[in-house]
Amino acid sequence: MASPPQLPPADDLYLTAHDTIRGKSLLSPATLGLGLGAALLGELMLWRRIDLVETELVIIDDRPTGDAASTAVLEQILREAGQHGVRNWLAYLSTGIATDLVERRLARAALIKRVEKRGLLGGTKVSFVPADSMTAGWPATRIRTKVTRDEHLDVADLLLAGLILATGLDQHVLATLDARDRAALFEQFRRLFPAMLQQLVSQAEAAVGDAVMARRA
Amino acid sequence: MSISGTKPAESRVSDTLARDRLGVAAVVFFVMSAAAPLTVVAGVVPTGLAVTGLTGIAVAFLAVAVVLAIFSVGYVAMARHISNAGAFYAYVSQGLGRPLGVGASWVALLAYNMFQVASYGGFGAIAEPLFADWFGVNAPWWVLGLAAWALVAVLGVRDVAVNGRVLATLLVAEILLTVVFAVAEITTDGFAASSAPLDPSTLTGAGAGALLVMAITGFVGFEQSVVFSEESRDPRRTVSRATYIAIALIAVLYAFASWAMISAAGADKVVDRATAEGPELFFNLAAGPLGDTALHLGHALFLTSLIAAMISFHNIISRYMFSLGREGVLPRVFGKTVPGTGAPKNGSLAQSAVGLAVIVVYAVMGWDPLVQLFFWGGTGGGLGVLLLVTLTAFAVIGFFARHPEGEDLLHRVIAPVIGAVLLLVVSYLAIDNIATLLGVEPGSTPALVVPLSFAVLFVAGVLWALYLRAARPQIYAGIGLGARSAANSGGFAAALNEETR
Repeated sequence: MASPPQLPPADDLYLTAHDTIRGKSLLSPATLGLGLGAALLGELMLWRRIDLVETELVIIDDRPTGDAASTAVLEQILREAGQHGVRNWLAYLSTGIATDLVERRLARAALIKRVEKRGLLGGTKVSFVPADSMTAGWPATRIRTKVTRDEHLDVADLLLAGLILATGLDQHVLATLDARDRAALFEQFRRLFPAMLQQLVSQAEAAVGDAVMARRA
Repeated sequence: MSISGTKPAESRVSDTLARDRLGVAAVVFFVMSAAAPLTVVAGVVPTGLAVTGLTGIAVAFLAVAVVLAIFSVGYVAMARHISNAGAFYAYVSQGLGRPLGVGASWVALLAYNMFQVASYGGFGAIAEPLFADWFGVNAPWWVLGLAAWALVAVLGVRDVAVNGRVLATLLVAEILLTVVFAVAEITTDGFAASSAPLDPSTLTGAGAGALLVMAITGFVGFEQSVVFSEESRDPRRTVSRATYIAIALIAVLYAFASWAMISAAGADKVVDRATAEGPELFFNLAAGPLGDTALHLGHALFLTSLIAAMISFHNIISRYMFSLGREGVLPRVFGKTVPGTGAPKNGSLAQSAVGLAVIVVYAVMGWDPLVQLFFWGGTGGGLGVLLLVTLTAFAVIGFFARHPEGEDLLHRVIAPVIGAVLLLVVSYLAIDNIATLLGVEPGSTPALVVPLSFAVLFVAGVLWALYLRAARPQIYAGIGLGARSAANSGGFAAALNEETR
């Protein structure tokens, strides 16, 4: 049986952060938003459109990426270039902007379906459920499988795995890794994960912790 | 609206972020619900009158407010320059060095836990007669204390944010009720305006330290305003204004209510009445003019005030532990949260375990929940916070000596030095008067255990920091920088630091 294709990291993170059957989020909205915001910024780094220098985002190429979600973020960064540090960008994207962009991208690819539920009080509640639970569970499975087989993760998957740790999702999806596997994964972070992306994931993780301290998480 | 005023007004990022930021009123509400006004006025003050026999409490509230306001000038100024501003140990780490910072963090955990367990004792003792009266339930105090404990434990682990509007409504009701009751006490027959509660000479006489610690106990929670330093609309003004407003409101409310209560009972008789009636004194004195309904309402708000305080302190403690866990000062498990809610679960569970153990020990030993748990715990915690505030005052001086940029002389030298000297005097008086405060013989066990336990934890924390410096320099380097520091936080940073636990 063929494996589902590897999606952009933000899409993979979204699927990993939701129940594969009912689509319920495993993260609080703020934490999910920070993770997806960091993933979209990470995608722009993988597209070689932006760099993270210290704590500033620097544009190195302003051409659209060919993908609507990451291009939308790139355009916003272009519009307010040099005005905000990466932490402000993460905070901004986490207000629902990143989640919205990723949901639209996944819906366009027919990987999640929009479901409307009528609430008790008459209003309708919109939610998304995975089109196929096997595809939705695949990113986490792929990481676990590769790590336990001592295979190298590519940079996109290291970004995904890093954000899984940063958002605390590892308590759900990497709980089955034993100490040796975890050590092997950490070794890959140190040796194979570019410094700029390490820094991005660290900033996202710090932002998640900060939200807890300020009672926003 | 822009964040700092220097950025263009049309920034969408700034606009979006500004919408989530807090104003002065929100910060004041947050601070005052931890301070729990009715708990202090009806609980701490009468119990303190009974235990210490001292009546100068109103002037002590005013004096402490002045000292804390002076301290706050430098405190909120430093909050603008450091990360993790919600925790005393961050100030101490960055102002006086990491070893003292870790010592401070352990003292803070003990002090806040003392408040937390005190509120369980207070709730049980105060609810016991009320539940018998209202519902005919004859449960011992510890059953009711455990019920409150269970509520807080569940809310803490699930991090159910008790609706801000509910808390604010309760708080406003609590403040209004305190004022109405105090005014009613003024209208009673027995009222004779007394100068004893306001006599400044009590602050230099015997027992002054005990009065000052009781007063400080009423203000604890004021220090939490700086948690929102970076969440506030105007980083330079919102938090500082909110802090001064909260201190002033608390001082005036407490001083007025305690003056009215002592005057209504008569300064010469109030100690005997407080001994006989305990926390009922504040309500009994107002019962004449106000009637039964007001009394029931007052009692109900008294209990909700205690619960609000419990929830506040529980959250403070679990987040303190979270912050320390993320930095690796405490085991990393405390740095984990429940992914779905962001609740710092393990810190919350640890606090609940401490609370359960204390309630059970008090129940088994048959110790008094009101004096020996509520009052000793509360004022012991107040003493701990006083010592931390004093240490922090020196940390502010130390910090600005090395980083004078961006603050004027008043904020970085003058106010901090005056505040530090005053706090040092208060701390000295407090420790000197510890036996009076607790109502025990000088040199007896409680009078030694309370201050010594702070000293032992402080020294242990310092030694732990020195161990970290030698054995785990990576962790040591991040102490006091908090979850905000990208170099040192959760699982991913730990992975990069080869710190797998």
